[in-house]
Amino acid sequence: MIQLASIKKSYSLGNEDVLVLNGIDLKINRGEFISIMGPSGSGKSTLMNIIGFLDRPTEGTYFLNGKEVLQYKEHELAKIRNRAIGFVFQQFNLLPRLNALKNVELPMIYAGVKKKEREERAKEALEKVGLGDRMLHLPNELSGGQKQRVAIARAIVNKPDLILADEPTGALDTKTSEQIMELFTMLNKEDGTTVIVVTHEEEVASYANRLILLRDGYIVQDIDQENRGEIL
Amino acid sequence: MSIVENIKIAFSSIFVHKMRSILTMIGIIIGVSSVIFIVALGQGGTEKLKSLIVGSGNTVSLSYSPSEEEMKENPDALWSPFTEDDIRSIETIPEISKIVTSSDEFGNVRYRENTIESSISGINQTYIEVNELNVSSGRNLLPSDFLGGGRAAVISSGLSKELFEKEEPLGKIIYVQSQPFEVVGVLEKPTGLLASFSSNEVYVPWKTWRTITGNNKISSITIQAENTEKLQEAGKKAAQLLNQIHGTEEAYQVTNMEEIAEGIGQITSIMTLIIGCIAGVSLLVGGIGVMNIMLVSITERTREIGTRMALGATRGQILFQFLVEAMTLTLIGGTIGILFGAGVAYLVSSIIGFPIIVSLPIVLIGLLFSMFIGIIFGILPANKASNLDPIEALRYE
Repeated sequence: MIQLASIKKSYSLGNEDVLVLNGIDLKINRGEFISIMGPSGSGKSTLMNIIGFLDRPTEGTYFLNGKEVLQYKEHELAKIRNRAIGFVFQQFNLLPRLNALKNVELPMIYAGVKKKEREERAKEALEKVGLGDRMLHLPNELSGGQKQRVAIARAIVNKPDLILADEPTGALDTKTSEQIMELFTMLNKEDGTTVIVVTHEEEVASYANRLILLRDGYIVQDIDQENRGEIL
Repeated sequence: MSIVENIKIAFSSIFVHKMRSILTMIGIIIGVSSVIFIVALGQGGTEKLKSLIVGSGNTVSLSYSPSEEEMKENPDALWSPFTEDDIRSIETIPEISKIVTSSDEFGNVRYRENTIESSISGINQTYIEVNELNVSSGRNLLPSDFLGGGRAAVISSGLSKELFEKEEPLGKIIYVQSQPFEVVGVLEKPTGLLASFSSNEVYVPWKTWRTITGNNKISSITIQAENTEKLQEAGKKAAQLLNQIHGTEEAYQVTNMEEIAEGIGQITSIMTLIIGCIAGVSLLVGGIGVMNIMLVSITERTREIGTRMALGATRGQILFQFLVEAMTLTLIGGTIGILFGAGVAYLVSSIIGFPIIVSLPIVLIGLLFSMFIGIIFGILPANKASNLDPIEALRYE
């Protein structure tokens, strides 16, 4: 589904160019559950942003479903973000003035879905994450775990190919973290949605089938956790 | 994303910060309402002025402006250019429905020891109808007064005040040019624009006027026709006829009050425009307020913008969202401003009796202009929002 080749990313800091990603080659198949780990500064967030089309690499090629997408214009990338990818953030990033239902409706508004269908699908998504009884609550009336469930409902409502979760349990306690990770596992198993989780917690990473370790902008390990075999 | 969704978002973010939104709108409200108020006043004034000059009903005046030779030949004619024969001739013109004549002179009017200088007008009966001369007390001049050359006089409220002070004027004998007259009526106080002119006027039947002044000339003729088209024709024919009778070339003319009124109307329109522009400057200041608050709002909502971008909003959609928000802000302000400005205008109008016109075009212009202000001052903040880097915006604390 996704094929990255020789992805490099550098930022200019003053006169110096800082290389964050130093030639990443990565192939992600449909239905995988991947966790990306690495110390801070290893480039895992940057990689995530590039996979999610929030950022463009300095060099390299990116094939999504067989199409080279880096040449796409900004508004075309926005469309891919909208349809093909669901984002889950550490800080949930719910719009504070909208209730859970409205927050989940947001991606469909940008997709141009009609109001009635939007409501139905948003309800469905919220029920799926176990928040059928909290639909009309504002974010500040929800617990951290509930907020993250709303965010996950929002991420899956457009039926994306890929869910990208950046430290999704970073702001949650252990028990809630487990529930959230179980939710991701369910989405991966039942719907076949590809899930990529960036984390620095090994327990969280252990839910994934595949573990990618990043260091200094390189992939240093790529492990098939189920078969305990190294892919690289 | 539809415009309706954008307007909903705009309203919700305006309502969340009520105080801030109201304060921001005040600038726009003051700007729009002062423009509406001034233009309403200006347009009302212009119309009033025009109607005063043109007079009500389809009337034109005939005037006498002789050439130099004609003036040397007949120097007295300038003050009283028309004769009774002239009137009789003009009466034969079929297009004319009514002829109003008056002869005016300044002279002394005395009641007991009190002598006042006043204009003394000898009028015909139609003068009363066409010029809408109404009495507030007593009676008007009657047909019998006109026919018999009676010694009845109607005086203006200004003269009544000066001559009689607190005494009851009706039935009293006053001396006009040393001739006794009975005061039969006092005219209504002029209202509106004319209220400030308290002029001294005495109106007597023309035949009586002729007797007491020994002058049988008429100083002004106004003709009335059934409609405007006939009026043009009637005026032309009357002037032609008079020139023919008096053997003059173009001494007798139709005074086209419409043109004069248009000229004055233009002057007041220009004045209105200038003052309106000055009021418009406050709209610009209001616009800057809107820009300022939009910039604050965008900074506060950086994370929201980042989130929206991650969820699939294009830069264009973000730009549009904030532009709509700025326009909604200025449009609400503009609408309140229009209502407020029109309200104040009506209030002022009812208090001081000045006419106002709140016309549809000016209301539409007010709305469009406030929307325009929203676009002009919203584009910079909206552009800033749409150019945010989504990654930076998502991390923004």
